Amino acid sequence: MRDQIDKYIGKLLADRSAIPGAIAIAAQDDVLIAQGSPELAKLAGDTLSRLNSLALVAARPSLPFAEFLIARAGKGETFILPQDTETRTFLHDIPFLRREDLAGDPAPELARLLGSRKGVIVEGVGIIAVGAITVEQAFINYSSVFHSTFVKYLQDLLTDGFKLPGEREAFESFRKQWLKPLSAEGLEFVDAISLDKEEILLEIERVGRYTVERGLVDSFFGNISACAGDLIYISQTAASLDELKGCIDPVPTDNSSTTGITASSELLAHRKIFEETGARVILHGHPKFAVIMSMLCDKKKECAIKDCWKECPHVRDLGGTPVVAGEIGAGGLAKRVPPVIGASGSAIVYGHGVFTLGRDGFGEAFRTMVEVENFCREEYFRLLKA
Amino acid sequence: MYGWTGKLLHVDLTSGTCERREIPTEILHAYLGGRGLGVRLMRDYFRLDPFDPQMPLIFAVGPLCGTNSPTAARLACVSRSPLTGTIYDCSAGGRFAWRLKGAGLDVVFVTGKSATPVVLAIDGDRAEILAAGELWGKGVKETVAALKGRGSVTAIGPAGENGVLFANIMMGEGNSIGRGGLGAVMGGKLLKAVTVQGEGVTGVADRERFDAARADVMRLFRASPVIFGELGIAEYGTPALVDLMAQRRMAPTENFKSTFFAQSANYSGPAIRKECGAKKEGCYGCPIQCKKASAKGEPLPEYETVNHFGALNGISDLHAIVRANTLCNELGLDTISAAATLSAFGEARGRFPDPVEVDRLLTDMAFRRGDGELLCQGSRRVAEALGKPGLSMSVKSLELPAYDPRGAYGMALAYVTSNRGGCHLRAYPISHEILRKPVPTDRFSFSGKARIIKIAEDVNAAVDSLVACKFAFFGATLEEYGELLSAVTGVEYGPESLKAIGERIYLTERFYNCANGFSMKDDLLPERFYSEPGSAGEGIEIPPLDRARFQEELQKYYRIRGLSPDGTFDDASLLEKLP
Repeated sequence: MRDQIDKYIGKLLADRSAIPGAIAIAAQDDVLIAQGSPELAKLAGDTLSRLNSLALVAARPSLPFAEFLIARAGKGETFILPQDTETRTFLHDIPFLRREDLAGDPAPELARLLGSRKGVIVEGVGIIAVGAITVEQAFINYSSVFHSTFVKYLQDLLTDGFKLPGEREAFESFRKQWLKPLSAEGLEFVDAISLDKEEILLEIERVGRYTVERGLVDSFFGNISACAGDLIYISQTAASLDELKGCIDPVPTDNSSTTGITASSELLAHRKIFEETGARVILHGHPKFAVIMSMLCDKKKECAIKDCWKECPHVRDLGGTPVVAGEIGAGGLAKRVPPVIGASGSAIVYGHGVFTLGRDGFGEAFRTMVEVENFCREEYFRLLKA
Repeated sequence: MYGWTGKLLHVDLTSGTCERREIPTEILHAYLGGRGLGVRLMRDYFRLDPFDPQMPLIFAVGPLCGTNSPTAARLACVSRSPLTGTIYDCSAGGRFAWRLKGAGLDVVFVTGKSATPVVLAIDGDRAEILAAGELWGKGVKETVAALKGRGSVTAIGPAGENGVLFANIMMGEGNSIGRGGLGAVMGGKLLKAVTVQGEGVTGVADRERFDAARADVMRLFRASPVIFGELGIAEYGTPALVDLMAQRRMAPTENFKSTFFAQSANYSGPAIRKECGAKKEGCYGCPIQCKKASAKGEPLPEYETVNHFGALNGISDLHAIVRANTLCNELGLDTISAAATLSAFGEARGRFPDPVEVDRLLTDMAFRRGDGELLCQGSRRVAEALGKPGLSMSVKSLELPAYDPRGAYGMALAYVTSNRGGCHLRAYPISHEILRKPVPTDRFSFSGKARIIKIAEDVNAAVDSLVACKFAFFGATLEEYGELLSAVTGVEYGPESLKAIGERIYLTERFYNCANGFSMKDDLLPERFYSEPGSAGEGIEIPPLDRARFQEELQKYYRIRGLSPDGTFDDASLLEKLP
């Protein structure tokens, strides 16, 4: 258990989602272990001991966006409701506690909230996320809340602007210091991927690591595939993109075997994209600015459709990349992405993420995803300034 | 009251009376329904012999039944198993549960023993005990057909009538109340069938909240490759697991002597679709429709059944396997226990049965004739009688299903901690160890598994009490089902409160078992798993289990559960402290 705690503290540091020195993870097998920042470790342990779950992450996020969302929320509000797909599907909403709710021992109240939700934001403390059966699950839930609050805060800024003292300055600091230039420079790719199984597996594993190392995706979100003759090699469901060794399923294109039942939920979309485009590889991630920008629509006020994320029939455009609606898995995305992705080699799904293609290898897919995210990033800051 | 009806039909077959009684609201809130409610209602009876006339046979639905909550048109049947001697419950789908709720009932509590074979007929507010007449001795299909005018039917076949220790109660639509021999308990009461007709509507406290929660569940189903993925169970049924288990080298083969069967592709999901024209069927109102039927409407076998009549007995002929499944359904035999018992018998005598012999032996089991007189007692008793007790691949006398414990260490632990014996569904670690839901765990590690199994047992006890289908939890979680339950009943529930209920149910069951003499000595895997490796291949080694590490994790599990090192309770007054 301790090795798992060390591993995920390391991941929180590596992906820069939490502040060094303000991270703790608790886990319980037959005994309770809590490691990390002493104050947070105590809180994590006290909270987890009240839950019928295995692990809990308590950490102060590296960005103040979750705090700002609480401060910007109206009096009487007790949760935030991000509109991105990850939240809508897996978190539903994110409860929060204000400073004034924290009189005395906060653990019982935290345990109560975590009794119904995967993550909670606590003003002045950070994000507390629970993992029902693994430490990794607590990390994933922390990461999901971080992702959701990032997306919602930046979305809200576009509509409501800065409201709080110090908010603008903090945002500028985020823009200049936290955000890193996104590029594919210095990365090595196989130019034209062969049909060799070992080469394909190694290349998928390597590209998976690149996406995480370059900050293109959070470690958990996304999937990767390569088509090789009668097989599609695709990352498994719930596989971290930076740890794909042993987590890639070979799936026959004719469905003659069901071994790929553990493949990514987007297998159907990948298969249809291969059929439609003849591409060799597909990369799918949830880069944050693309997610944010995909939810902007200037026709929302006059449009009768309210469930835009699944019902919108239109193909919009973001810098030459088509944007379509559609739920994940068997929910519609697999119908709407394949027809539109071929021309540009990329497509964005409303509130969800980006698919990119490589005709020969992952270099093209990776660079295209970088370009899409960079465009969305620039476009976001242009809009905010406007 | 929303969700529940608050009514129990008390049926005394000895006196021939049926009486509607109230169920205390606090009991419903504390045990929900299904398994939990049935287990609670066993509190005054759990020490009785399974065949004692006073032993109850309890059919209980849940608070979500009767609403369009996904996968919730199910019931649990609870009693004490004649095969294992443990408390026993089994969840089953079909239309029966829906109609039972429609008749205004949460529970049918059958006690006593009739002097002659009877049928219990429920029609709305009315309930009567009818002479079974010529139905006694008939197969399941004929019995169901004869009673179909009375609504939904659940019935026993010859196996239940003749006291086969793994006799099922068969639901009219092809589902079954399986494994632990509750069909024999029903047969012991001379109760051939129960029919039910009901049109009542289950009230929902907050319709808007309910619709939102239902949408959340459905979104998660669509996001789950195991459920609605193109290779998932909605498409291929549970035989979708055949190829996966072969690839993972954990498909029990020839009585668990090996873990890979080279011909398993003959009965894989795609093969069944191609050869049998499999079409979708399923439980009433279930969006998944994982059951598969042939073009003629014949129920097709599940994963466990194809593996056990296939690899476990060295049979590769799909049509022979389908025939064995159909025969078991008609005779009212549990397919897993029947096939595993044949396999143990086969290894003991040095020859596994061929397809023709399988058909004959299954029939002999149900009618208790020839070899069937021994085989009808299950693999443990068969192996002991043949002087080879180590050949029964069972835990607490319940035959192991089709996941070799050497290939998934959480599964190994869960087999022994299960309160109903060697069952995969109590903690269902295959979900995370193999299917990666909700998150993957390392199948070849014991690390953390004691806690994981404990939590999962609690979760699934709650799921079995809702009563929802476990397959729903390849996508959704108690978070969404807690929301559904709160919306339906108007009582607030969430994942933690539901797990607390599950824990209460689990501990009650374990307490009953311990009171009946069960302890660590029964939390035992067959010796083979510690001494023989499985089949290596594709870079995967399947070594024997590390006994010391296994025992260490079992002790951890006891500590987490608050049990003594012997796996029993220090506190003899546990039940008095529970609602």
